[in-house]
Amino acid sequence: MSKSVMSVMQERDIQKRTFMQKMFKIFGKTGTYAFLFIMALIVLFPFYWMIISSLKTLPEYRQAIPTFWPKQIIWGNYAEAFSAASLAELFTNTVIVGVASTLLSLVITVLSAFAFARLEFKGREAVFGAMLATMMIPGELFTITNYITVTNLKWTDTFQALIVPFLVSTFYIYLLRQNFMQIPNELYLAAKVDGTSDIKYLWRVMIPLALPTLISITILKMMGAWNTYIWPNLVAKNLPLITNGLRNAFTDTSGQANYPVQMAAVALVSAPLFLVFLFLRKYIMQGVSRSGIKG
Amino acid sequence: MKVVLENLTKIFPSRDKKSGQEVIAVNDFTFEIPDGQLVGLLGPSGCGKSTTLYMISGLQKPSSGKIYFGEDDVTELSTENRGIGLVFQNYALYPHMTVKQNIMFPLQNLKGKDKLTKDEMLERTENAARLVQIDELLERKPSELSGGQQQRVAIARALVKMPRVLLLDEPLSNLDARLRLQTREEIRRIQKETGITTIFVTHDQEEAMSISDIIVVMKLGVVQQIGEPQSVYDDPKNLFVAKFLGTPPINVLEGKVENGKVYIGDDDVLDVAGVEDQDVYIGIRPEGLEPSDDGRLNCTINNIEVMGRDASVVASNSASLNPVVRAIINSDVRIDTTKQTIKFNVKPHKFFLFNKETEERVYFEVN
Amino acid sequence: MVESRHQWKAWLYLSPAIILLLIFTVWPIFNTLRMAFLDGYGNMAAIGGRTFEFGIDNFVKVIDYKDFLLCLKNTAILCVATVPISTILALLIAVALNSIKPLQKTLQTIFFLPYVTNSIAIGMVFAAMFNIVGLRDGGTNAQTWGIINNAIEFFGGEPINWINAGSTYTANIFVMIVYIVWNALPFKILILLGGLQSINKQYYDAAKVDGTRKFRVLTRITVPLLSPMLAYVIITGFIGGFKEYSSIIGIFGDKMSAPGGESLNTMVGFVYDALARDRQGRACAAALILFVIILIVTLINNKFIKKHVHY
Repeated sequence: MSKSVMSVMQERDIQKRTFMQKMFKIFGKTGTYAFLFIMALIVLFPFYWMIISSLKTLPEYRQAIPTFWPKQIIWGNYAEAFSAASLAELFTNTVIVGVASTLLSLVITVLSAFAFARLEFKGREAVFGAMLATMMIPGELFTITNYITVTNLKWTDTFQALIVPFLVSTFYIYLLRQNFMQIPNELYLAAKVDGTSDIKYLWRVMIPLALPTLISITILKMMGAWNTYIWPNLVAKNLPLITNGLRNAFTDTSGQANYPVQMAAVALVSAPLFLVFLFLRKYIMQGVSRSGIKG
Repeated sequence: MKVVLENLTKIFPSRDKKSGQEVIAVNDFTFEIPDGQLVGLLGPSGCGKSTTLYMISGLQKPSSGKIYFGEDDVTELSTENRGIGLVFQNYALYPHMTVKQNIMFPLQNLKGKDKLTKDEMLERTENAARLVQIDELLERKPSELSGGQQQRVAIARALVKMPRVLLLDEPLSNLDARLRLQTREEIRRIQKETGITTIFVTHDQEEAMSISDIIVVMKLGVVQQIGEPQSVYDDPKNLFVAKFLGTPPINVLEGKVENGKVYIGDDDVLDVAGVEDQDVYIGIRPEGLEPSDDGRLNCTINNIEVMGRDASVVASNSASLNPVVRAIINSDVRIDTTKQTIKFNVKPHKFFLFNKETEERVYFEVN
Repeated sequence: MVESRHQWKAWLYLSPAIILLLIFTVWPIFNTLRMAFLDGYGNMAAIGGRTFEFGIDNFVKVIDYKDFLLCLKNTAILCVATVPISTILALLIAVALNSIKPLQKTLQTIFFLPYVTNSIAIGMVFAAMFNIVGLRDGGTNAQTWGIINNAIEFFGGEPINWINAGSTYTANIFVMIVYIVWNALPFKILILLGGLQSINKQYYDAAKVDGTRKFRVLTRITVPLLSPMLAYVIITGFIGGFKEYSSIIGIFGDKMSAPGGESLNTMVGFVYDALARDRQGRACAAALILFVIILIVTLINNKFIKKHVHY
């Protein structure tokens, strides 16, 4: 082979290169952090603006030159928001729907996942395959008929209209089944030998082992109830959930809106999600990265 | 290009924050690798051989000490400016590129006065591929190649830019036994053809012995012995080196030196001169034990394993630290297996004494 | 797997799921198809005893409808603009995050924050940031042009009427794009960062040994090795984009337009409007069209992926 591409380096050459590579490294790191900080500020700004606006007086909010910290902190905006948007009622409705649909949904999901993962029965693969196939279809296709069904059942403006149609999530069944399958079957056989019932086995062995998945499902389901807008708007105009109530309480976009109160309401609605996120970040991020669905 | 390591030391901060115990991966390694040699860094896992290699590559920074390529101090120079080729243990071939793209990739990175035209790149790529005999496979993806072929591509990719130094990290560990034999000959041939100073890391002493010009035996970050494979084998400096080299491994027995005689149990097996009385470990290479009716070492015979040309006498002795005492003999020699005991004579040049405390070699003259 | 002597047990466990799925998932699939092909179908009318002809009238009506074309246009613009922007930004942020050690976890959490929000609630915050509020009397009822306009003025630009009465369609769409991108970033960053962290570090060592420059490492190694994840976020981005709806409600309210401005309604919005007005046949037809568009986009993406995504 011919001579090396890297020509023999001189002492000066090496020093120069060493210096250059150090400079590049410093510039690179500084640039990276600068970029990330700027992006982080952009991401955070709406939250910051929401909070400081919610604490301002209306005249201060409307000042032509904005203030970046309220001159006078008006906690009263929160009280006003709470009553103006009847948040108490909205919170109650949403919590009822969220808790009920999460609990029922968990029971259904666990039972189905168990059957698919551990029990042998005719048609298992076919049923499972069919379930998975429904995941491909966008929800809007179901909504129309479900709206009719719910109307025909005279469920309009009832809790069951908000809960029942969304109890089964094929994706969660799939997720949990995969999780259950990883649990060695010997455990189940051993339990059978000991005469443990299916339900007891589920409760004592499989559920504890699949707990992280179950927690992820719970959180995503609750977040779903918190964020849903379209469906309650269709079938339960008189039983509004938090998002509907919030939007409908502040319909004025004409320029005269009392933004401090509105921002206080938004902050109140956002707070529970943030608290949940703060404490259960790991599960949320895990759940989301596996499921890729919003709420 | 000779490579010089000067007091090279690498200290890793402790993983366990409480104890704060640092790990000294490589301790004060000084060595000059002559130009154009094939050097094997050898030792059990955790001995610092890979860390040494990665420090030479520039992917890891030494805690102290210097590295020179020729006369150039490259200690502070980053990897890309060192002009090295590195073959990773699991090859690290880019899975989305064809063999040709993989080999050509380093050339496309060259800039300034080193920049090549497309034709030059292609020619260099083909030359490198021919050198490692994969010129038929240029259009394939790595996933379509066998382990041995991937290994060759990795070597070609490392060689194509004509590195000043070629580094190989456990180059054969991912290959099956047959391929390993074949590939190590291949590495030897390629190294001789290119004349590039080559350093490779392995935990397999046979591999290191068979192809290296020089081996470096390491243990817990400390260099134990450096030398040509045969001379290290014939003249180990300490018990660790003696035990680490050779298959089947050396027989190690407890014994003592008293009045110019080496005792194993009650048997005085060899007369030696110039050695003070002391407790010793005795290392005897399997080929250093000769069955003989007037042999001085008595062992209990277990069985004979015939391996074609050679046979292996498996015996036991209560002083042995190994489970068995093994002797390699010509298979023509008949052993009377009806007897319970067997007597051996030892060949003095296959017989080593080590101080029991320091495990350092105790040299002696044969009387 | 256990050979169950009591097969009924399995079916018992599955029964709640199956019954609910039959009612709320399987039946709707067939019923939606049926209604879409019954000319002018409406549920109230059907209950009233009216019968409907089989035909493709719903589809013809939908496509003829000016509103529908507008919705299609809005949706397409939002999709085409937001998916590339958010994907590239997310990629850059993920790569930057992956290359640092101190503060990585903190920044990662910050970048995930927009995900745990209610898209309508934060839409209202964005509206506040872009909104002109108050009267121009200079007195107690002072007027703010919104923080975004304040910032533009600070940097020497002209303030823009973004979402108030008299604002332009372009300005409206721009606000939507900003908001949707902001909203789409966290998921994409999460997925891409996960992908980056699973790439074998040795490829980067190998590239370093070969003296590969940063940008080349990004384009020749990172992006190809990340291509499955990139494909995933692009496809889900397009699907999400075609279903855009509530973010617009968040900013513009349920009229989905600036006061007196052009409607920013989307495909999904069209479906729900038709549904609420008892035009189920038309809603079904529109939903099916949406479904087909999503299907086609996914197929095109898949084809592209087969060509360019490795392994």
